[in-house]
Amino acid sequence: MTVDNEATLEIQHLLRDFRPQDGDLLGALHAVQHRYGYIPRIAFRVVARQLRLSEAKVYGAATFYSEFRLTPSPATLVGWCSGPACRLKGSEGVRRMLESRLGITFGENTGDNKLGLHFAQCNGTCEYAPQVWVNGEVVGPLTAASTSDLVQKLKDEA
Amino acid sequence: MARITLNGVGIEAQEGAPLVEVIKKNGVWISNLCYIDGLVPYAGCRSCLVSIEGARGLQLSCTARVSDGMVVDTEAPEVKSARQQVLAIINANHSDRCLTCHRRVKCMPGDICLRDDVVTHRCLTCSKNYRCELQTTNDLLDMGFENVEPWALEPRTYYQTEQPDPDRANPWFEFDPQMCILCTRCVRACDEIRHTTAITLANKGYTSRIAFGAGGPIHESNCDFCGACIDVCPTATLMEKPNKWIARTEDWTSTTCNSCSVGCTISIGTRAGRGVIVKPDLVNPVSADQICVRGRFHYEAVPDKKRLQRHLVRRGPPGSAQLPAHWGELVEYVAGRIKDVVAAHAAGAVGVLGSPFNTNEENYLAQKLARDVIGTPHVDFSQAAPNRAAMKAVEAAFGTEALPADMLRLGTSDIVIVIADDLESSHNVAALRAKDAIVGNPAAPRHGTLLLVSPLWGEMADFAEPYGGTWLQPRPGAEAALVDALAQRAAGGQAALPPVAEGDLPRALEILGEAKDPGRRVSIIYAPNPGDAQAAGNGARAAANLSIALRGDSAGESLIVLPTEANVYGARDMGVDPELGPGRTPLAEPGMSFDQMIDAAASGALKALIVVGDNPLMFAPGSARVRDALASLDLLVVIDSLLSATAQAAHVVLADVPSYGKTGTYTNGERRIDRLHAAVAALGDARPALLALTDLANAIGGADTWSYAHPDAVTDEIAASVPGYERFGAGFGAWGKARAAVTPSRFERQPVSAASAAPAAGELLLTTGRTLYTSLEGAAIHAPDADKLHREEFVELHPADAAAMRIADEDEVMLVSAHGELTLRCKISGRVQEGVAFVPVYYDGGAVNRLLAADGAPAGVRLNVAEPA
Repeated sequence: MTVDNEATLEIQHLLRDFRPQDGDLLGALHAVQHRYGYIPRIAFRVVARQLRLSEAKVYGAATFYSEFRLTPSPATLVGWCSGPACRLKGSEGVRRMLESRLGITFGENTGDNKLGLHFAQCNGTCEYAPQVWVNGEVVGPLTAASTSDLVQKLKDEA
Repeated sequence: MARITLNGVGIEAQEGAPLVEVIKKNGVWISNLCYIDGLVPYAGCRSCLVSIEGARGLQLSCTARVSDGMVVDTEAPEVKSARQQVLAIINANHSDRCLTCHRRVKCMPGDICLRDDVVTHRCLTCSKNYRCELQTTNDLLDMGFENVEPWALEPRTYYQTEQPDPDRANPWFEFDPQMCILCTRCVRACDEIRHTTAITLANKGYTSRIAFGAGGPIHESNCDFCGACIDVCPTATLMEKPNKWIARTEDWTSTTCNSCSVGCTISIGTRAGRGVIVKPDLVNPVSADQICVRGRFHYEAVPDKKRLQRHLVRRGPPGSAQLPAHWGELVEYVAGRIKDVVAAHAAGAVGVLGSPFNTNEENYLAQKLARDVIGTPHVDFSQAAPNRAAMKAVEAAFGTEALPADMLRLGTSDIVIVIADDLESSHNVAALRAKDAIVGNPAAPRHGTLLLVSPLWGEMADFAEPYGGTWLQPRPGAEAALVDALAQRAAGGQAALPPVAEGDLPRALEILGEAKDPGRRVSIIYAPNPGDAQAAGNGARAAANLSIALRGDSAGESLIVLPTEANVYGARDMGVDPELGPGRTPLAEPGMSFDQMIDAAASGALKALIVVGDNPLMFAPGSARVRDALASLDLLVVIDSLLSATAQAAHVVLADVPSYGKTGTYTNGERRIDRLHAAVAALGDARPALLALTDLANAIGGADTWSYAHPDAVTDEIAASVPGYERFGAGFGAWGKARAAVTPSRFERQPVSAASAAPAAGELLLTTGRTLYTSLEGAAIHAPDADKLHREEFVELHPADAAAMRIADEDEVMLVSAHGELTLRCKISGRVQEGVAFVPVYYDGGAVNRLLAADGAPAGVRLNVAEPA
């Protein structure tokens, strides 16, 4: 049985109203993510103890839902649209350019946590395909070259 | 029973049974890569398709249930073809293309693969080659080049994504996710069979993968390394790490684990006479298909080169070297010295120590050597005192110490009462069966209630309150008083309940009220502390009182007293006790107990000691006085397979074989008689202790005193001469199933004396106990990696005590008691309560015993923070 420290006590306080029922698991995870912007590794143990689940069960649930982040949210989040319209118009090239210029893949942040990349679903603004969303704002249509320029701009601004 | 037709043959099967199990039990092979017998079907792999007459399409035999008149076909061409298609999809995500290659058997390591130049992993370079369920399934389903593989000529997407890294960061498991076919057997085995739930299916869709704990390495999760996941894994994803490349065995031998008194049956796979792998063996129905980390991995805790391979003698002064010598020469030498001692003093100047790690045969011959050949009544073993105290208490309560309670009932009990320090660590599989009773599994749910009385947190504690039970945490040493007070309340008395640091006393009384209902099944487990004799006696009296208060005349069916060591009851039954002969018949003239022998050795009254498998310098509390006493002996003979601390102090060491090399029997904590068979070959000159004892007897008593050609001859003699063992001759056919237990003749309450004193101001109460990971054999030779995970090399302190003394985690501290001192690092832990320090009993070969008094009672210790060097 490990000993609590300040960080775990804070999460424990955050979760004080959640009860050991499966129905409370997602609520508890949302509460943690709402507070920290992501679910820190130590939180799994605290959530598990509070809800009388095993750490592995909590981790399995948290990783199932793409809305839960296990890494701190970056200052700028770039979402790559995986929709069919974007794909047909060559979003694969946009993805490769993003990945190679940023040096990260989906679900990851750059080392300084300033830029992050995530895999997004079509939002219906297909007239801008192929597109990415910078902190939710649609940018497109893109080419490989304009993607490179965009990354440079984001890096400069960051 | 239902009658069904399987592949044209009429068979009988249980109505409603899972069809796949019936098919397998009738000797028909069927691919099933995700099913685990006895659990709810997962139906994830789809590879167990069969045709059932009248059913729409093909059916999964794991979800299909047997009904009368069913006509099942597993061999029809459309069934086989469907299964091949399913397997092709599974294979597509497995990293090995050799699986379906007709040339696989012709390939040699180093060959270039002609079929597919992107193959990075091949069966030939996989350590599970030829013992892999996926490989067998491919072979038996005739998966080959002529069979359809939809993407036979396409590059596989698998190789385009980054391959996950294997986890090799712990000493026992190897976890290589790229071999995984996501059958989730491990997830369900860990959750539903072991109730540990360290494994989960993480992510979803194409990124699904198996993860431990919060996705980190295995050793950072709550995994107990029991290996249940390894046993069910159909691929090389989860494997035993030790010996993985050579664990293609030549032979399997069924024997019994000696790590605790549950006595799990294990099957040792051997290659060239060496143990290379251990699997659970189904012989003992309590352990059935489960064992713990000790049973599975401690067979290789000590490397061969650290075992005694030659017999040693020290002819010079104390401290001079022990030199190798020949067997015959040493036997003559020992016999001569013993005869000298007997002639110069008396037979009573010789003592013999047996051991609870010896087989019954060895202990029987050890006491026979002492009593019949040498003529001395002084027979005992170094851990005997607490067990003797507990057993005397049980005998006084019930008229016998061989209670009829059976651990098989444990898993189906309605109420489980556990009185132990940390049952999960000391008796892992007993704790598992207790958890079975509380949570069961989805196929057979159970709703038992746990009343746990433990001064120490253990995983069992998490099975109390969430499931309607409670964990009462008394002060160490106050367990007996608490249990006795509970017993008095259960019997209708008004005893005041002593305070507890944790727990719901009113709920505990409610549980006891429920436990009095004769319609409920109740199991009471008492596992005495391995060192403290007074506490063990009191605890056993209190546990007996409680079981009598709750169950009246059927109390004997409920109470299980589990000693720490494997064969304590065998040692007692064989007469390794100063007061009891074989069959526990009281002796008219008792000999000296271990403690008295040590005192006699110190005073010069005892001149020679023959130690058969025992290691008093590790096990006996108050090691300093034991060391001095052994040093003053004229002759110390040790028969052991390791150069233990005691063997190092000996004049003569006769090299024994390890327990995995012995044939004989053990009597476990419920007096189940388990069989040991020699699995590994003797190393060097080592000879089994039975041979040493026989040769010594013949050298001392004259030729032909004894003639035991084989260990079975001793087993037969035990059956012929030891009361209670009449059935258990060498030809007995039901080892592990039968028990040497009798019906109690009386039910008597006994008074429990007051709890031990509190430590002085500024001192902590030092307690000790068995922990899960430290290997007995590794500890006996002070191996630096006796605890390969290095989790148990600490003194555990409560955070409040650590803060008060300004001690940080992992600081080096010196424990000082009235008897000695010990320097080690500290771990700030939530396991112990305030004012208590805990040191694992096997840490550094029983180093904690230096700090304890001879009676093993919890001692007061001061903590000094060591100065930085």
